[in-house]
Amino acid sequence: MGEFVPARAHEYHARVLSNVRLSRRYFLLRLERPRDFIDPAAGQFVHVAVPTPDDRFFLRRPFSIHDCTRDAIELVIVEVGPGSQALRRAREGDTLHFYGPLGHAYPVLPEKRIVAIGGGVGLAPLYFYGFRAPGKLGEGYRLLYGARTREDLFLEHVALERTGVSLATDDGSYGFKGNVVQLAAAVIEEEPADVLFSCGPTVMMKAVQKLADRLAIPHYASLENRMGCALGACRACVVPTKLDGGSPYRTVCHDGPVFDASVLQWDELPVP
Amino acid sequence: MGDISIQIGPVRFKNPVFIASGICGYAEEYSPLVNLSRLGGVVTKTITMLPRAGNLPPRIHEMPHGMLNSIGLENVGLDRYVNEKLPQLNQRPDVGVMVSVAAETEDEFIKLAERFAPMDGYAGLELNLSCPNVKGEALDQGRNPQLVEKISRIVKERIPKKSLWIKVTPNITDVGTVARAAEQGGADAIAAVNTLVGIDFDLETGKPVFARGSAGYSGPAILPIALQKVWECAKAVSIPIVGIGGIATIDDARKFFLAGATAIQVGTSLYNDPGLPERIVDALAENPEWMRARARASASPAA
Repeated sequence: MGEFVPARAHEYHARVLSNVRLSRRYFLLRLERPRDFIDPAAGQFVHVAVPTPDDRFFLRRPFSIHDCTRDAIELVIVEVGPGSQALRRAREGDTLHFYGPLGHAYPVLPEKRIVAIGGGVGLAPLYFYGFRAPGKLGEGYRLLYGARTREDLFLEHVALERTGVSLATDDGSYGFKGNVVQLAAAVIEEEPADVLFSCGPTVMMKAVQKLADRLAIPHYASLENRMGCALGACRACVVPTKLDGGSPYRTVCHDGPVFDASVLQWDELPVP
Repeated sequence: MGDISIQIGPVRFKNPVFIASGICGYAEEYSPLVNLSRLGGVVTKTITMLPRAGNLPPRIHEMPHGMLNSIGLENVGLDRYVNEKLPQLNQRPDVGVMVSVAAETEDEFIKLAERFAPMDGYAGLELNLSCPNVKGEALDQGRNPQLVEKISRIVKERIPKKSLWIKVTPNITDVGTVARAAEQGGADAIAAVNTLVGIDFDLETGKPVFARGSAGYSGPAILPIALQKVWECAKAVSIPIVGIGGIATIDDARKFFLAGATAIQVGTSLYNDPGLPERIVDALAENPEWMRARARASASPAA
């Protein structure tokens, strides 16, 4: 499992500071940081209630923290269905309900050479790790980010070609032509890595695990899943692992979302 | 704030607001968000004799005004519960805990009851005779009045000083008959209701969303059905009824008292609104007479 951070979740009602489109499918939701919101670790998430005039959207949605400053919590949200569309319609000044920060984070490894591999909306926690907490981009932390095409890249607003960041597109419309795991293999060929981080589509993270196996180095992956409580209570968001203890299942919300990826049953994970 | 404590069998609870089984794990998980000591109590996840791995994911699926779940009674099993989880509760005497249990046979119910009988740290047992998410027995037990009466009796005999609640299924034509059987078996309360059986399909694959197909439907959508079942139970028995199903607001909770409930449980809505149970406690405590006057009065057998 990832870095242990004791649960100190609280329910907050936060004002929307801004909500802007980043790319074709992604938008950046900035919430006013509540004064007593503890410093989150990279990989932790918040559980956000979808604004709805009735009970149409019943379950909360978990989002990894993309950035957290003194004043704001930033979430990157991809439009996948009516719930995320309702969040896209949130306007400056609206109030959203959420609780967090929740879950296990990526481990802080000051002496290690880390290669972080992100795909799609999975960039969020890896960005947070490199840019904010513990924040060592370019100094032993290389961030690789892939998307299908340039239009899907959402890093451009902050960090294109910043030291320590490399981009890949499947169609070659920006950066390395090919998938981000191929880019990772090439990058590591030039300068070795001690640890891999990943967050993105299951197919991508599974390929990262193969790379980690080949290189015989640890790999920490952040998973996502539909959740009920997000506190480890309801056992809805479980994934199959090689662990035992009465059940092979572990919760994404509480045992994860960041897992030591070697314990996961990659062949049985859902492929969204 | 007035006194809204209630008596269910031999146990006094500080108020009539509980969190339903399966929602808040073994209780402590929700303590960062809910002040559990302010509630009448919490009902744990269902415990079984042996650990259960639960169902293949996915296990949860949002529907309009509610959700389907197919957890499958994943739990640590009786030994670990009694050795690890229950002792934690002993450190929190301020939290009322009803332990939900399920078993496949009468013999297993006897063993469970005998194991719990000498224990401290809990207020009673809620028998889950109505989970739709496991193979065979559990749901069928809850549909068989003779079995419900027998199970109620063999458990109650072994825990005379604890509160015994029987959780009934709404997936049955005549819930009153089952409630009456539980009362005759010596149950202290009827907990009504468990989830409704439901199913949803994935249009892309053409298959059910869940590996097991059918699942349990809960959330605000089931409120009128749950109220109806509580109403029917209230006409059938004189023991207290704990109303469960679709409570998403304070007014929803009030309606259960009008239907004849003595207490209520908040279930699925806790995921959306963890502050709800405490707000219901506050609202009831502002006017204790309302609760006392309404409970059962409008739903007596004569009504």
